[in-house]
Amino acid sequence: MASSLLRKRTRRNNLWFLHPRTLTQHLLPSSPESQSQSQKFPLFQNPPNSIQNHDFSDSAFSKFLLKSSKHVASSTANVSGRRFDSQRRRFFGSQTAAEPSTSDGLTVERIVANGWTILDESENDWKSHAAAVAQSIHLIKKRMKWKKLLVLLDMLTMELNKPDLWNDPVHAGKVSREHGSLMGKMKGVNAFERELLEHIDMIKLAREENDAELESESLKALLQMRRISKEKELEAMLSGENDPCSCYIEVQAGAGGTESMDWASMVMEMYKLWGQHRHYKITVVDEMPGEIAGIKRATIKVDGEYAYGYAKAEVGVHRLVRISPFDSNKRRHTSFAAVAVIPILGEGYTHVQINESDLRIERFRSGGAGGQHANTTDSAVRIVHIPTGITATCQNERSQHQNKASAMAVLQSRLDQREMARQVQMNAQHTQSLTDITWGNQIRSYVLHPYRMVKDLRTNYEVSDTDSVLEGDLDGFIMSYLSASLDKDEDDR
Amino acid sequence: MKLSLTYAFGVSNFTVFVKPPLFRNLHHSVCLSLKPTPPPPAAAAPLKHRMPLFLRPPTYTAPMSELHKWHEWAKSLASSVGTTFEDLDNGPDSSLLCRELKWLVEDVVEDQTLPSLTQSEKCERNVGVRVSLEELYKLWKERIEDRRPFQYIVGCEHWRDLVLCVQDGVLIPRPETERIVDLVGDVVLDNEELREGLWVDLGTGSGAIAIGVGMMLKSWGRVIATDLSPLALSVAAFNVQRYDLQDVVELRQGSWFEPLKDLEGKVAGIISNPPYIPSENISGLQAEVRRHEPRIALDGGVHGMDDLLHLCKGAASVLKSGGFFAFETNGEKQCKHLVEYMETAAGDSFCNLNIVPDFAGIQRFVTGFRK
Repeated sequence: MASSLLRKRTRRNNLWFLHPRTLTQHLLPSSPESQSQSQKFPLFQNPPNSIQNHDFSDSAFSKFLLKSSKHVASSTANVSGRRFDSQRRRFFGSQTAAEPSTSDGLTVERIVANGWTILDESENDWKSHAAAVAQSIHLIKKRMKWKKLLVLLDMLTMELNKPDLWNDPVHAGKVSREHGSLMGKMKGVNAFERELLEHIDMIKLAREENDAELESESLKALLQMRRISKEKELEAMLSGENDPCSCYIEVQAGAGGTESMDWASMVMEMYKLWGQHRHYKITVVDEMPGEIAGIKRATIKVDGEYAYGYAKAEVGVHRLVRISPFDSNKRRHTSFAAVAVIPILGEGYTHVQINESDLRIERFRSGGAGGQHANTTDSAVRIVHIPTGITATCQNERSQHQNKASAMAVLQSRLDQREMARQVQMNAQHTQSLTDITWGNQIRSYVLHPYRMVKDLRTNYEVSDTDSVLEGDLDGFIMSYLSASLDKDEDDR
Repeated sequence: MKLSLTYAFGVSNFTVFVKPPLFRNLHHSVCLSLKPTPPPPAAAAPLKHRMPLFLRPPTYTAPMSELHKWHEWAKSLASSVGTTFEDLDNGPDSSLLCRELKWLVEDVVEDQTLPSLTQSEKCERNVGVRVSLEELYKLWKERIEDRRPFQYIVGCEHWRDLVLCVQDGVLIPRPETERIVDLVGDVVLDNEELREGLWVDLGTGSGAIAIGVGMMLKSWGRVIATDLSPLALSVAAFNVQRYDLQDVVELRQGSWFEPLKDLEGKVAGIISNPPYIPSENISGLQAEVRRHEPRIALDGGVHGMDDLLHLCKGAASVLKSGGFFAFETNGEKQCKHLVEYMETAAGDSFCNLNIVPDFAGIQRFVTGFRK
């Protein structure tokens, strides 16, 4: 890959003079017409070889650029002709849609297909490192649903290309924001991919030239990439649009009275502890205690990065089997608790507009004359969104004002979630509210008697140390579910 | 004891804290009677009995296990109440008391990141607390056995987004009253004259409404808060200071309009939560209110309307044209009566009279404008 070679070489002083061919190749696109462009996008950071090796005319993104660059050109009256357009378009297109390759045509997919043996990290074998990184990239793309992203990018680009787009500035802003964030996401992976291929090129070159220093440097770089790629795999599991959000976790007890209410409170406790392990801020928003023990239902707020991304793996029914401490005959009981997770969309997301007039706000447990007659620390508030019938309650704040604000936030998130469920069918499994979750939808079983085992029914992941799980050690379950649900479908790559 | 404290409040504002002799004596008597050891630092001592718990320095330490023991005891005491108080006079039930207990712990324990008290049975680690263990036992006993309001126990009330200091002798602001600030917010939103005008909170108590409105108006407007009780005024002064509103909220001592003689026809808005409970209902009030809160802030005369009617009369002369008022009342009956009175007896002074319900659906507020 010429560009990378040039870059490396430049860094390694004037070695590149030895390769005039590469240099000319490189200078080629920097014709006078595109000077303005090359100022904006310094050549040495581009992969201009792609301009020669690939044709991107069918790339979704290039269409967008064609359009947008025309737009820029005409609006600034700085028309530099078709070549400007096409070059700029190609440059951008290569960043996302193209499949980068080495100078001898090796791509990530081919490396994976070659099936090079992956040895231990300590073995200094470049093929092994390269294969490991390539495999990671393959997995990352699959997790990100790369093909779907390409389609989505195509759709967004078409949207951006519409001449009447800016007639609706809100919509236009949304489209271009979405487009930008998608581009950002894909660029990162592409850059990583290119880096891998560059290093391979370097190694081959170094061998040709017997440059031991360059070879060991590149080998080191590959090893470094291999280490980073593991983190990237993990990050890719949380590439959903709402994954970085904070969230609410709601738990509701199933039928079965005190025993299942106790189970519901154990589940809630498990999430509180899990959140603490992850250094999330946990606040109880709403809690309806059982008459004797436990909770009928409760809502907690989990504040922190990727809280929703992880917690969404917990949506569904959790089943407990144990000797009930509430049964004087010491019989074995099975109880259920339903868990729902609602993302809290931050700023920059589109929220459902709530009209003040659609709300009915009521004191939750009012009675008596109120006002000066009563001294109470109970200022629970229930907000009903009349058109949808969706309600939100908060009772754990110390002032009515705060309870109201808290309940409003829950209501907003519930309405947002409802809207998302309406719009996005593909994500439906995570957008269920408590009422949608059928009790047959069991995801995990916790058996404390006659043996001890927690088993996820979706992934078959199991742990026999039930105490540690109930104390919030859930990451094993969450990760195995996330990777299983993302990695299962080969077509999604 | 209580008397001398009240007296101390009466003579001056919080500047009195720097005068050592009086308070040193006070501190000694308190320590000897309640708790011989360990004496807190002298500087903190005078504050001890009026500072809300959450503002006190964590001068005490207690092992987690002891706190746990106290917590278990307090919980069982709360649970033993069941619905007794609720059935008796609409007082708090066990679950509400348990929540109060949680808040008490929040206010008292220094380190909020500690593992919860319910799981710390065997933990011998020492934690910083803002009152002694003995005091904790005493406080919770007062809450349950004497029905002393929780807000007096912790010395504060969370109201709107504020934390207001309160103490015996000063009415605890009610959640319903929060709405008055919203009502003011609605009218100043698109009315510059009101927003930049002079507002008056009559019978301010802890200063709640005045501070709520003051926070909203900030540098644009000004609020004068009056109260008959010097104790209430000194508590209000403390709260005003805590929210750094000394330049916005001015406190004046006196009965209703008395301290406002210089402001006839100059006031943009009047807000008030005057005593409105009919005298005959006082004896049947919830124990927390009847036994502990100041009757002067509750008793509105035979029909509970004495002060409300007085406010209406005064409003006509103090408000400038276009000025706004919002009064809290006992409910539908008083609201209707008041509107009727303003439409007929009070001459032709007011317009756009409106009755606004609270969140429990009770017709709670009367609002209107001076013609």
